Amino acid sequence: MLEECSYHYLPNGIRLIFMPTDKFKTITMGLFIYQELTPKLAASNALLPSVLEKGSRLYPDYLTLQRELENLYGAGIGADIMKSGEKHILTFTMETAHDQFLGENGRLLDEGMSILGSVVADPLVVDGAFREDYVRQEKNQLIKDIRAMLNDKVIYSLERCLSLMCEEENYGVYRLGRIEDYDFIDPSGLYSYYRDLLARNPIDLYVIGDIKHDKVIEAAEKVFNFPRHGEQMKLPATEIMRRIDKVRYHQEEMLINQAKLVLGYRTYTGFQDDLYCALQVYSGILGGFPHSKLFMNVRENAGLAYYTHSRLEPHKGLMAIASGINYDQREEAREIIDRQLEDMASGNISDAELDNTKRGLINQLRSKQDSPSKLISFHLDGSIGGRTYTLEELTAGIEAVDREDIKAVAERIKLDTVYLLRPRKGGSN
Amino acid sequence: MTGNYRLIENKELQETLFHYRVHPGMDVYVLPRPGYQKKYAIFSTRFGSIDNCFRVEPEQEFTTLPDGVAHFLEHKLFEDERGNVFDRFAALGASANAYTSFTQTSYLFSCTANFEESLQQLLDFVQEPYFTEQTVQKEQGIIGQEIKMYEDHPHWRVFFNLLEGLYREHPVRRDIAGTADSIAEITPDLLYRCYNTFYHPSNMAVFVVGDLDPARVGNLVEENLAARNYRPMGAIIRRHPSEPVAITRQRTVQELVVSEPIFLLGFKDMSVENIHGRDLMHREILMELVLDILFASSEELYNDLYKEDLIDENFDSEYSADINYGYIMIGGETKDPDQLYQRIMEAIAKFLKGGVSKEQFERHRRKILGSYIRRFNSLEFIANNFLAFRFKGTDLFQLPSILHEVRLGEVLALAEENLDPDRHAVSLIVPPGAD
Repeated sequence: MLEECSYHYLPNGIRLIFMPTDKFKTITMGLFIYQELTPKLAASNALLPSVLEKGSRLYPDYLTLQRELENLYGAGIGADIMKSGEKHILTFTMETAHDQFLGENGRLLDEGMSILGSVVADPLVVDGAFREDYVRQEKNQLIKDIRAMLNDKVIYSLERCLSLMCEEENYGVYRLGRIEDYDFIDPSGLYSYYRDLLARNPIDLYVIGDIKHDKVIEAAEKVFNFPRHGEQMKLPATEIMRRIDKVRYHQEEMLINQAKLVLGYRTYTGFQDDLYCALQVYSGILGGFPHSKLFMNVRENAGLAYYTHSRLEPHKGLMAIASGINYDQREEAREIIDRQLEDMASGNISDAELDNTKRGLINQLRSKQDSPSKLISFHLDGSIGGRTYTLEELTAGIEAVDREDIKAVAERIKLDTVYLLRPRKGGSN
Repeated sequence: MTGNYRLIENKELQETLFHYRVHPGMDVYVLPRPGYQKKYAIFSTRFGSIDNCFRVEPEQEFTTLPDGVAHFLEHKLFEDERGNVFDRFAALGASANAYTSFTQTSYLFSCTANFEESLQQLLDFVQEPYFTEQTVQKEQGIIGQEIKMYEDHPHWRVFFNLLEGLYREHPVRRDIAGTADSIAEITPDLLYRCYNTFYHPSNMAVFVVGDLDPARVGNLVEENLAARNYRPMGAIIRRHPSEPVAITRQRTVQELVVSEPIFLLGFKDMSVENIHGRDLMHREILMELVLDILFASSEELYNDLYKEDLIDENFDSEYSADINYGYIMIGGETKDPDQLYQRIMEAIAKFLKGGVSKEQFERHRRKILGSYIRRFNSLEFIANNFLAFRFKGTDLFQLPSILHEVRLGEVLALAEENLDPDRHAVSLIVPPGAD
């Protein structure tokens, strides 16, 4: 990806991925604990990063941690949970400005890493459990976050469509889990579950910045030296082949002005599939760009929507088409969208659509090298999807996609769920 | 050609910026960033939603615009006789976009190949307007949907309801996109009138950043403009109604589908109009320090409110200042807006009496410096913010030196002036049937 990217296993089996580069002003670190996504464990997985961030042995409350970070020139720590395919990943990040812009001499790597290590591996434990008040407080906050999904109707409608579509699969659970499961989590059970995760689940540690290789290894080995099981847990692969009998329709009413139409498709094409690049090009031509069919026809030609696009969930092999429209124009919008999919299937694609989409995708890929967080997520995708692509492989793969490949993708794609969030009758509009 | 340039150095960031002035009076800034794959360019005009009443010297008559014209014009520049502008960028593998704020409209692209062709495209499409009855009418439908989307967006609504509560006259109180009714009044003639005024290069600027040769960029822009034979234009006189000290109303409540109330407390800054350049940035930095010391996650108040379940992690405070308006906003989602309001007002009163410790001041100052350096990873951040600060007469690169100058003693004085209980308002979004 970059000029170099080196791998090193710490003595306890954590994989260190180091990307040396002098183009950034920062030192960026990310630690990722991989777990499978299941409805049962989702709430616990989501709760852990929040509880850990709120108190560790060295920084027993949030105020103390935040002051330490401010003294470290406003270093930023992140503790969150990520859902990607049917993996649930506990995510801890640390970013500091690089020493050379602050007249410091190499201490920011060590101190940043040590704070990250405190939060991840040296929690505040009372009688073999996380602190009860922190657990209660963070449960409450996360339940609020789950409910707050409602506040952004664009995000809400997309989440609702995909979760209804996958309600019988692990993927159907929301990133933060189910509200009812939070009741059953207790501080000591959560702590022992976390010890298990730390000991057995795969863990990757990323470091990006202008630093010497041996310094990075030294700092990582010093901080992340907790014992782990020799054998790491193998996580199950994401299910992508679920068959569909018939299209399902869901409607929800709300006091809103604009209707949101979300169409959920199965592509039966996962991250490891040889047609993965072709799927990217397919979705790009259909609705990934302002030159794409959806934007040109639903928005520019018919003037029905401000936003209308297609997006992929590459690990689960899902595609969603989302548009914000007038409720009265929903059928017209649906017809135009369907016609674009028919054109995709029948090969009614211009040379410009094909070539420009490839160029656009390659531009997006290359641009990832200019952001530490995008560099990490690109690499992380390989670990999640079980197939590591280099940037060159993906670029070449996209360039090689032809009309036959797109036709092959189109033949696989099936509409699964139609979701409409509609303005309540008698409401404003 | 553009042999004349000025270097703007920033020691802290170890950056050197090239500044060209090209005929007829446009600033072009180029920042080389070796090692970056992406190149990013932004072409901005000082024309935003608040510029709704103006004349051009020597005219005497003012033109008054319906709300939303700057934003509408932004949309319409993406279409011309040759068709859709996005297609031309797409053919080059570049990604184009645009945005309109209160004070400026910006057109931009990023690319990892075909940079010079893409820059030509950017300069060309922004300088070649094409408005017809038919294309204007179609855009009314699209922007109508954009407005509807924002009408359903509680965080957007709570923000504009607050500005409406704070400001009686100043156009910053109105939505950037306008309303369905106001955009219905927009005609091709009106768009041309605005275009011919605000899109004269002397009212515009370009910022380009990436792994590139500054002189080539300077020449390219200069030649592109030279071919268009611009004549000098008279000064643009903008008229803004005088804003009274008093606010419109202290409390604005709107019902929307939300999981819990969204609360925003605001204060109106009445002095910004008389503060310019370096002094304005000084004020911004100082105000950021005030808000940080009061409300940051490293301070007692935040942690108390969080433990009492009155706020969540998104609780935030912000100061925004431009040429003739400024405001402070504090808030987030909360189960008990009245209680939160009371706690914040008490904390402000206590702060004004108690003061700031040296430790607090230095700690927050370090944080601002480090955060500033970190943001320079992003080419978009640098370019967008450099021009935004440039348009209000300040300089993004000056931040570290001004940050170094601010004194602990100034903090309280500004807090006292700007957190004046007489100039505050509250905006609330509540679930239907809750209030």
